[in-house]
Amino acid sequence: MKRIEALAVLDEVFASDPLVITCGATAREMASLSRKKTHLPLLDSMGLTTPVGLGIALGHKGRVGVIDGDGSLLMGFSILPTLKAYAPKNLIVIVLDNGQHASADGMYSQANVVDIAGAAKGLGLWTAQCDSADELKKLISSREKSDEVSLIFVKIETGNTPNIPFYLADPAKLGADFIEAVAG
Amino acid sequence: MRYLLLNQLIRGMMKEANSRLSALVDGLLDWQIEHFIYVPSSHSAPVIRSLEAKGIPGVMANREEEAVGIAGGLALTGKRVAMVMQDNGFGNALTALATFASSYHIGFPIFANTRGGLGEYNAMIHSISDSAPDLLKKLGIRVENLGISDSVEVWRSSTTAVSKLAVIQRRPIVTMFESLHPGMETIK
Repeated sequence: MKRIEALAVLDEVFASDPLVITCGATAREMASLSRKKTHLPLLDSMGLTTPVGLGIALGHKGRVGVIDGDGSLLMGFSILPTLKAYAPKNLIVIVLDNGQHASADGMYSQANVVDIAGAAKGLGLWTAQCDSADELKKLISSREKSDEVSLIFVKIETGNTPNIPFYLADPAKLGADFIEAVAG
Repeated sequence: MRYLLLNQLIRGMMKEANSRLSALVDGLLDWQIEHFIYVPSSHSAPVIRSLEAKGIPGVMANREEEAVGIAGGLALTGKRVAMVMQDNGFGNALTALATFASSYHIGFPIFANTRGGLGEYNAMIHSISDSAPDLLKKLGIRVENLGISDSVEVWRSSTTAVSKLAVIQRRPIVTMFESLHPGMETIK
């Protein structure tokens, strides 16, 4: 599955839920597909996607989605024990794992040599893995009445979708839109 | 005799310092704080313990940038959230503060105890702590100060005012506060 195919599924599944999106090509490809006020793309801040999602999940009553990458998660791996400790059941973290920093010249990430899903599971977190759009939809749907935080690791192809323009949104506007949509 | 007098003096200073930390907590309660995110610190421990005792939900983060992310996320849902940390952790927090909290206009107060001053026992902590205010100001982040010589009333009212201002300005605002190390009573 290509990243943009996974993003299309996540845009549909989290249609009206807050959705935090990691930086670089992921934010860019999502913006090329869909732009919602409930989307919070982090234009930089690598490693911060899941911490921001945790904060939103602690303050929001409904379901909250996070789209992280293997490289971004590794950059802030200390969030995993924090997720386990505070475990908001309304939070679903999707890790799009292509084993590389696709926005940094395709450098390999250490997800190539360590099992990051296994590490999360070893911390006692609920984890699942998939590599197709149908499985991804089913897994998210199965977590509807979950009583703990969910981490779904999705294997995606390497590389980026070609000809996607840079995403030049004003972060202040993104923040204001998100607050309006989520906090009212 | 000299040691006894010194010990009495330190105990008196500790009492003064602790009354100011209580005032900081009271100022946060006056603001009606709903959540706090913290990074463990012996100097900030009285603030953290006191907020927990008052029933304010706290989240312990493993790193300062992680704390900025969690606090910012909570603030984006409209919650009144504060961060509690040490000033030597700003080296970790700067990128998150600049590219996330400041850039996305997310307002929440950060209360950071200072290190590296008189009574410090750590030989190298001043090498980051002394520069932390200037580093923050260089990024355009407002820094306020609360010292032991400020009155309890000033600590309480400033804490509330800074917290309100951060939300109104939609920016993180840092308050550097002086405290004494709890182990100071036993330093000979």
